[in-house]
Amino acid sequence: MAERSFAKEVEHLHIGSGEIFRGEGILAVTKALLQSGVSYVGGYQGAPISHLMDVLADAQGILSELSVHFEASASEAAAGAMLAASVNYPLRGAVTWKSTVGTNVASDALASVASSGVRGGALVIVGEDYGEGSSIMQERTHAFAMKSQMWLLDPRPNLTSIVDMVEKGFQLSEASNTPVMLELRIRACHVYGSLTAKDNVAPAFTLRDAMENPVRDYDRVVLPPSNFVHEIEKVKHRWPAAVEYIKSHHLNEFLGGVAGDVGVIVQGGLYNTLIRALELAGLSDCFGETRIPIYCLNVTYPLIEDEVKDFCLDKKAVLIIEEGQPDYIEQALNTILRNADIQAKVVGKHVLPRAGEYTGQVILEGLQKFFDAYAPSLVAVNSRGARLPLPPDGQKTIAEIVPQRPAGFCTGCPERPVFSAMKLLQKDIGKFHVSCDIGCHLFSILPPFDIGNTTMGYGLGWSGASAFNTAALKRTISIMGDGGFWHNGLTSGVGSAVFNRNDNVLIIIDNGYAAATGGQDILSSRAGHKTKHTNNPIAKAVRGIGVEWLKEVNTYDIGAMKKTLKDAMTTQKKGPKVIIAQSECMLNRQRREIPLRNKAIHNGKRVVRVRYGVDPDTCTGDHACIRLSGCPSLTLKDNPDPLREDPVAYVNNDCVGCGVCGENAHAAVLCPSFYRAELIYNPSVVDKVLASVRSAVIGFFQKRGEYARAKYTFGA
Amino acid sequence: MTKPRPIKISINALGGQGGGVLAGWIVKLAERSGYIAQSTSVPGVAQRTGATVYYIEVFPQGSTLAQKSVPVFALMPVPGDVDIVLALEIMEAGRAITRGFVTGETTLIASSHRVYAIAEKIHLGDGRQDAEDIIMVGQTVASRFILDDMEAAAASADAAISAVMFGALARSGALPFAKSAFEETIRHSERAVDSNLAGFEVGYANAPSDGAASTPPLSTAGAKKASASTAGSGLLQRMTREFPNSVQFTLTEGLKKLVDYQDVRYADLYLDRMACIRALDEKCDGLRRGWRLTCDVAKHLALWMAYEDTIRVADLKTRASRFERFRADVRAETGQIVHVSDYMHPRIEEICDLAPAWLGKKILSTPTLRKGFGVFFKKGRRIPSTKLHGFLLLSFLSGLKFVRRSSYRFKIEQARIDDWLMRIEMTARDDYALACEVAGLQRLIKGYGETHERGLANYIRLLALLDEANKMPAPPFRLTSQTLASLKSAAFADEDGVMLAAEIQKLRLSAKAA
Repeated sequence: MAERSFAKEVEHLHIGSGEIFRGEGILAVTKALLQSGVSYVGGYQGAPISHLMDVLADAQGILSELSVHFEASASEAAAGAMLAASVNYPLRGAVTWKSTVGTNVASDALASVASSGVRGGALVIVGEDYGEGSSIMQERTHAFAMKSQMWLLDPRPNLTSIVDMVEKGFQLSEASNTPVMLELRIRACHVYGSLTAKDNVAPAFTLRDAMENPVRDYDRVVLPPSNFVHEIEKVKHRWPAAVEYIKSHHLNEFLGGVAGDVGVIVQGGLYNTLIRALELAGLSDCFGETRIPIYCLNVTYPLIEDEVKDFCLDKKAVLIIEEGQPDYIEQALNTILRNADIQAKVVGKHVLPRAGEYTGQVILEGLQKFFDAYAPSLVAVNSRGARLPLPPDGQKTIAEIVPQRPAGFCTGCPERPVFSAMKLLQKDIGKFHVSCDIGCHLFSILPPFDIGNTTMGYGLGWSGASAFNTAALKRTISIMGDGGFWHNGLTSGVGSAVFNRNDNVLIIIDNGYAAATGGQDILSSRAGHKTKHTNNPIAKAVRGIGVEWLKEVNTYDIGAMKKTLKDAMTTQKKGPKVIIAQSECMLNRQRREIPLRNKAIHNGKRVVRVRYGVDPDTCTGDHACIRLSGCPSLTLKDNPDPLREDPVAYVNNDCVGCGVCGENAHAAVLCPSFYRAELIYNPSVVDKVLASVRSAVIGFFQKRGEYARAKYTFGA
Repeated sequence: MTKPRPIKISINALGGQGGGVLAGWIVKLAERSGYIAQSTSVPGVAQRTGATVYYIEVFPQGSTLAQKSVPVFALMPVPGDVDIVLALEIMEAGRAITRGFVTGETTLIASSHRVYAIAEKIHLGDGRQDAEDIIMVGQTVASRFILDDMEAAAASADAAISAVMFGALARSGALPFAKSAFEETIRHSERAVDSNLAGFEVGYANAPSDGAASTPPLSTAGAKKASASTAGSGLLQRMTREFPNSVQFTLTEGLKKLVDYQDVRYADLYLDRMACIRALDEKCDGLRRGWRLTCDVAKHLALWMAYEDTIRVADLKTRASRFERFRADVRAETGQIVHVSDYMHPRIEEICDLAPAWLGKKILSTPTLRKGFGVFFKKGRRIPSTKLHGFLLLSFLSGLKFVRRSSYRFKIEQARIDDWLMRIEMTARDDYALACEVAGLQRLIKGYGETHERGLANYIRLLALLDEANKMPAPPFRLTSQTLASLKSAAFADEDGVMLAAEIQKLRLSAKAA
């Protein structure tokens, strides 16, 4: 079960025509898919579109009512290939993933479906993970649209525009026989707003219809000579058809006024930020009423030459607001205007940064530069300017105080002890090369662990170290999560290591979920599942593919983990060595167990709750325990001893009782300050009798001690 | 004419603090009050303990000035254009300020508590940042600054911190909605309604209602007046008689610690040693210098003399006061049974520490003996301190206090202390400030096992440098108090001694260049 349940919100998907739909952008996309008569949906989770997958998973009921098939695809490539269903049949389908990483993975399939062309509308919804909050390389999906010739929609970031563009996207796809990509930026995925709904539509032609009445068309297969025909089709038929549809349905918008000889061309997704910047420059009100002409590109690929020419014809200069690099749109605009011999100057990356997110501040500064140069009269009259923030010197002093907050493992995370063990092993056998993967475990690269050299992509942990397959005195360690393992790591990593007689070590972190993306179920999840087949052990797959040296270790047993790692690193046995580090994701486990525990306590059952603590009078404030753990619940507080300056370690009330701090104290021989406390709820008679005997005896000794000390009381 | 503008609210929080819930409440509150609302966030990896921003804009629906019914809401705050900043931790308030979200028109509401960042926590000494500057700047910059320890308030009401913040927001009047509308929003959420309403109430009550910025409470530790039982009063009298006023607080703490650690005789030894230091300080014009050396040595000598050993640990672990404390720390209910087991890992070294000096030395210096006995102390143990056998074992160990004086470790530590005092004395004559720094080197030696060994090694390394700097007739470099202080903080920078080695290298190179 995913980290966030949308069971309640999903009910909202039933609402019909004229009713008001409220929710996140990504939920609105789901509604739009249902309103569009989609037949199948697939995808792979990852921020910022994880919630789309979670919503769909929680929406099984309504999906089956409308006979929509939802597939939790094994990877983005698998999802992309799913669009093949729309090649021969009038079936609408949508797939989704995090981009550009997911689009990279899906590219092979996408290029094929883009070459074949589609009969039914095919929509690729990409969450553009760019700018603040992003965790991946900063690139643009735009390039993929261009190279495979798929149309790229970039709607204005309000629910109505987004939903409208999903519906039009299917129509555009069908009108031009081309798969369409819909790009949503991080905040647009999570934007909460409202829209007027329409009725859901069940597909007229169903998957079952297709399966029972198969159609074959050799012209649609990517093989000579069709592949050559496809290329010609793309430019001769599909492109013009798309341009015609986009123009006649006004997918792009001419907004704002007609004042002056300057204008702004903006990617639809940046429209709201532009309006806010114009407002701050005194050139718009908060409703977007402005005299500045705006050409809003809800379709960023292809550009519509006629529209561009019309917009630029009477202008001295146009500002193109295009986020990221390279400046594909700016280049294309220049080509269009040059070919048409229109003299409007295209201003873009001259006044706006070449790289980085276009925030309100950035666009405001760009606008000011643009207007200063090309329409100074506009700014001089109207500028109210932003309220001035803090003077720079004040900001600077505080900036030195405010600490960085890198992401880290959650409280009680079962992955933490794996890296504690690795850190301890490094003390024994020295540093080793570590190849990381994508997933929560990648936090090992950050303090306090500082473990990991590279990360090459999801499931590619072991492949990232595959060059180091040569005789050496030290082996390498690679990391892979269970998510990455099933995504492709089983073949690209483990299979490849077996085949190439790799002699190095792989740790597979098996926590039962695709945890980093929000706790979605995967093949090896332990929990039963209504619509999915879970409980397929990783160990079985690893053995099956030919690994002989395989150990399964409970992650919380740091001693055993360290020993197993050491064995793997030093054994004389040749061949790939795989350690499966197992323990359930603590977030998921807590979500499952706490309600059960509370219920049991409430019902009078005997329950033992474990948590940990530190004695402040034996802690000397060295914090070695924190350097081996980084647990959010293991923190600091003032030293109660007035003679000592260094703060003591302290376990706060978020502790979930995983025991890693205590295990670390043992494994690293740290200090005797950690204790494990068992709190007994609804004690049995035996508990009570034992407790009273204990407290009588212990109390006697303690009183004797207190009495002896009282003789020497000293001070206040 | 002022054009209507949306109210812009930024929530600056840490992943897991409930910023999303708070944003949801504000949206619902606005909608219930006839406003249009939009919120956005950037979840993702920031959800896992990182700093994150939730952003909300609200606008009155059907405003007469409205040309169209829906304004174009922005998806991210623009510096200088945020009306309300809600920071769920004080450093996050600082981050909001550095990002330019807080201006003369902003209401800043922040929780004063700290959630320490990893860089602050992993320091070998004290790496914590002081938030006082942020409070100061916040008061200068913001139109209003409401500050309250909302974590404590939340704990008192058994509520989430977001509920307390919601209460403070209601009280601030920064949003044009009635208190009842806030409460209705919580009720309507149908989740943990009672505790959230309680938290809301506390937050509401704690925040000031008018324009005045609340004054942050600054803690001032009051000096304690010393008193003593008859057995201790002799020590106290001697201390008051022989030592200047300004060092008496530290000395009292030292005496208290040592009587508690060993006995009155041991505390008397402390005063004997301190008397020498006091005399030395006087010779070095200590009166004019505020008795800094005496004060420094008083603190560090007490800590050193009360070195951590198994006896001390067992003693502290078995006390009634400790039993009360752990019950409070784990938030046990009244009368609830709590079992505690302690993670202990005595190695052969710690066992020999307790042995009579001759025996301890013999075992540790004979490899076969060391290894032979060592196998019994390879694994850590969990001592069930609240069960009889565990408690009695620890009780027995704490009783060894009476033979501590003849133990191997005691001999070693006293020799080290005497050596340290001698160096302080030698140094003080030429360089008072440097002597104070030498006294402060004791801070390096702390902890148990490997931690203690690492600290001691660093201490010895710095003493060796001191010796080198005193090498006559041609010292290779000069060691000033500032240099020694920076070397000490370098020793605290990392576990592997990388920074310290680099600093020492720098010292040698600069001396060569000079």
